[in-house]
Amino acid sequence: MGQNSGAEKTYLLVPILLIAVLTSTAVIRSPSLVTLPGLGSAIIVAAPIILATYALMATTIAGRGTIDLAVGPLLAFINVTIVRLNGLDIVTDPIPVFLLALGIGVLYQILFALVIIVVRVQPIIVALSGYLALSGINLVILRRPGGTAPTWMSDWGAGETIFSPVLLIVLLATGGWLLFTATTFYSNLRMMGYDERAAYTSGVRIYLARLGAHVISGLFVGLAAICYTALISSGNPNAGGQITLTAVTALVLGGVALSGGRGSVTGALLGAVTLFLIGYVLSTFQFGAIQSFVTDLAYGTILVSSLLLTLLVPIVARHISFVSPYAAFIVLATVVGGIILHVATYDSFVVAPSVAQALGDPVANKALAVPDDNLVQRYFVLPEVASGGTGGIGPVALSLTPLQQIAFATAAILVLVVFTARMFVVEAVTPRLSLFLYIFIGALIVLTFVTLAQSGPGAAAAAAGEIP
Amino acid sequence: MSVAERETARRSPLAAPRSMFLLWFNIALTFVVAAIGFGMGFAQGLAAQLVILYTIVSAAVFLWFANAVTVVFEDRLAAPETHADEESAARQPSWWRRNWVMLLAMAVLLVLYLVVTATVEAFRQLEYLITFVILELILLFAFKVSVHFPRTRSAFIGLMILAALLVISAFTIDGFLSAPSIRALLLFAAFLGIASVGQTMVALLGGLDLSIPFVIGAANIGLLFLISLGVPPWVATGFVLLLGALLGLINGLLSYRLQAQALIITLGTGFALAGLVQILTSIGSEQAGNVMGTVPGWLRNLAAMNGTTFGLAVPPAIIIWIVLSVLIILFMRYTAYGRYIYALGGNRESARLLGISELKYWTLAYIVSGFFSAVTGCLLLGWSGGGFIDVGENYLFMTLAAVVIGGTSLAGGQGGYGFTVIGVLVLQLLSTFLIGIGLNYEWQQFIFGLLILPMVALYSRAPPIRSQV
Repeated sequence: MGQNSGAEKTYLLVPILLIAVLTSTAVIRSPSLVTLPGLGSAIIVAAPIILATYALMATTIAGRGTIDLAVGPLLAFINVTIVRLNGLDIVTDPIPVFLLALGIGVLYQILFALVIIVVRVQPIIVALSGYLALSGINLVILRRPGGTAPTWMSDWGAGETIFSPVLLIVLLATGGWLLFTATTFYSNLRMMGYDERAAYTSGVRIYLARLGAHVISGLFVGLAAICYTALISSGNPNAGGQITLTAVTALVLGGVALSGGRGSVTGALLGAVTLFLIGYVLSTFQFGAIQSFVTDLAYGTILVSSLLLTLLVPIVARHISFVSPYAAFIVLATVVGGIILHVATYDSFVVAPSVAQALGDPVANKALAVPDDNLVQRYFVLPEVASGGTGGIGPVALSLTPLQQIAFATAAILVLVVFTARMFVVEAVTPRLSLFLYIFIGALIVLTFVTLAQSGPGAAAAAAGEIP
Repeated sequence: MSVAERETARRSPLAAPRSMFLLWFNIALTFVVAAIGFGMGFAQGLAAQLVILYTIVSAAVFLWFANAVTVVFEDRLAAPETHADEESAARQPSWWRRNWVMLLAMAVLLVLYLVVTATVEAFRQLEYLITFVILELILLFAFKVSVHFPRTRSAFIGLMILAALLVISAFTIDGFLSAPSIRALLLFAAFLGIASVGQTMVALLGGLDLSIPFVIGAANIGLLFLISLGVPPWVATGFVLLLGALLGLINGLLSYRLQAQALIITLGTGFALAGLVQILTSIGSEQAGNVMGTVPGWLRNLAAMNGTTFGLAVPPAIIIWIVLSVLIILFMRYTAYGRYIYALGGNRESARLLGISELKYWTLAYIVSGFFSAVTGCLLLGWSGGGFIDVGENYLFMTLAAVVIGGTSLAGGQGGYGFTVIGVLVLQLLSTFLIGIGLNYEWQQFIFGLLILPMVALYSRAPPIRSQV
């Protein structure tokens, strides 16, 4: 069990490392990401990708190579249907719109499942067929991008705050999936995806399981379509291809096996976030007219290389089975959190090269922090600095002699290193995160939000002013 | 023993029935059909040369087809009933259970026809009645007669649909059988057919290549870009074709270890290639994504609608496609390379034991695919006269649809380029028909999407899980 779970989780190392690097790059290049509106709009932009990836994952886990390439066109289909019906004043209220979106998604997926079960055609053919048919009908419904989303949706996409309904949808979807993984149905589904014959002979009702997977996928597509409609607040019949490519890439990056049976919501989430960050970082470079080409090139290359990585991972996993991806996540999150805090609280955004380099390493970071009075202020007494004053300073840090400071710093670093190493080893053999890490991650997130809220509009304005 | 004989009889492409009576019967039938066509041609007022040409061609095709059908039935009658057959016949389900799908489909069609005729005034015409009867006949043929051709069942159905579509289109669309219309049909079929060469090869090995549209688009703008830079057109074309083959090589090598995910890998490489070529061609130009330039005359003549081959008013692209088709069909049938591809597609393990290198043939198939995609891209440049990255967009699923509708199994080992040619013609004819009755591109896409499923369902269904355990 220990070996297995370790090997399975090794797939997560790739997106985790990528996320750490990309988040740092994104934050340094465009500090407005870590303001409240910045994060809010980031969540809104990322939500459709995340939900579409979940939708794709549900059917992919069911095996037989059920990579539902039609997920993008289906999303676009629901999107244009909502916009079109809203334009005709037929379906405008929230509840009917939700019912409509989820209903279309589920209906289509049930049809898909029935074709696979009854007609017994390869699922990929059904998916391609659906892709073609839906792309065509999307253009019939809405000839070119346009139209308006329902009015109650328009302020969803504004991204003024983090706590938008879109975040609620994403959280509910993720939570729902986590609950779903606890059921017997999910284990049956995974077993079927891994080996359908074995599942059949051990009494799993495979047709029911497959149907269930598709229903869940349909629900997620419906939610993704609602988030997408809120994001662009209009209809786009041509969105399908790009969304499919992004979702498939996210899925592969997140370590979900395209042949079925292996996959986790953490992986899908991390993969989708990585893809969003890649798009974000690329957009900060401002390639101008060739922006979309660069994005295509990047997505394509990442898709291929992450597929090739899946070949390499089992070999790597044998050698680093003591490394827990979750522990790596904690360590990297701390580093990235440091960078975020640094950037978010920097009144005028100027990064000295030495500081930027030092930030890459937590140990160097701490060592640097001790002698520098200013940095101590910045990292331990955030509200005072952010409110613009020289203000109250933790007296403990200053009343020490240099020797004591070095001694304390060394001790702190030693404790940290030992703790981290211990955590790596312990976490590597557990199938799930321990309670402590959940609390730790929660605390990190809350701290980030509190900081952002405290640093407030001043920092946001300064950061926004920095990006022309 | 008799099975082996039957196999050889069916393999022979120019089989004649053993009974002299049947042979003469077929010839007589051919003459009747040819005479009808001859008369109809003059009635339409076509040029005499054209009518004669069409009559000869159609008579030859008809005779060949009739003979092939007769041979199959002759063999079947000659073969003694084996014990196993009797046993399975005893276990066969009732008549209703064997035929319910067909009856249901025919009933649905009937109801549909009656409802439409009852509601739409313009529909009450003889043409639509004929159309309806032909569709019912196709269903009957597809379900009952095609069973007697287990190997070429899809080709048989494809040919039936082709014939039916021809008849229906000729009835409903004015000027469908005119020379320009047929030339355009064949020209587009040639583009699709050349693009589908690689897809067929790859599908025979059990893979898929989704990078084809991107290679087509990239070759299209890449060639024009190189020409506008001042590179001699011949050199530029050679270079582009080489690059296409190179991408195929990359595809093959990358996807070899991940054959189940070849689809996704080629999608990724395709996107990367399209992005890269667009970046390269956009550097230093004001309008990103658009390439300006003049296409050389010979390339334009090669694929343009008014191109001529040795003075004949037929675009060379069509001739190239026909020659290529014949070459590839012969090649796949009679050379070691072709046979090895079938061997590998049929059973990897036995092929490996025979000493056939899987890596070599897998990669070669993808190289062929990349090469012919680039050829299509160059031809499309000659056709349109301007570079456009999305020119290949349709070919993403059209190549696949052609392969699937033709009847090449995507699991590998069954089918061939001859089937794909039928698939290409069916698709192109259907497309012309849909345009003719006034449906635009989106509706075509929708209908093609829905069409793929029943076509695949007809001949490549997986056995139920019960029987796999």
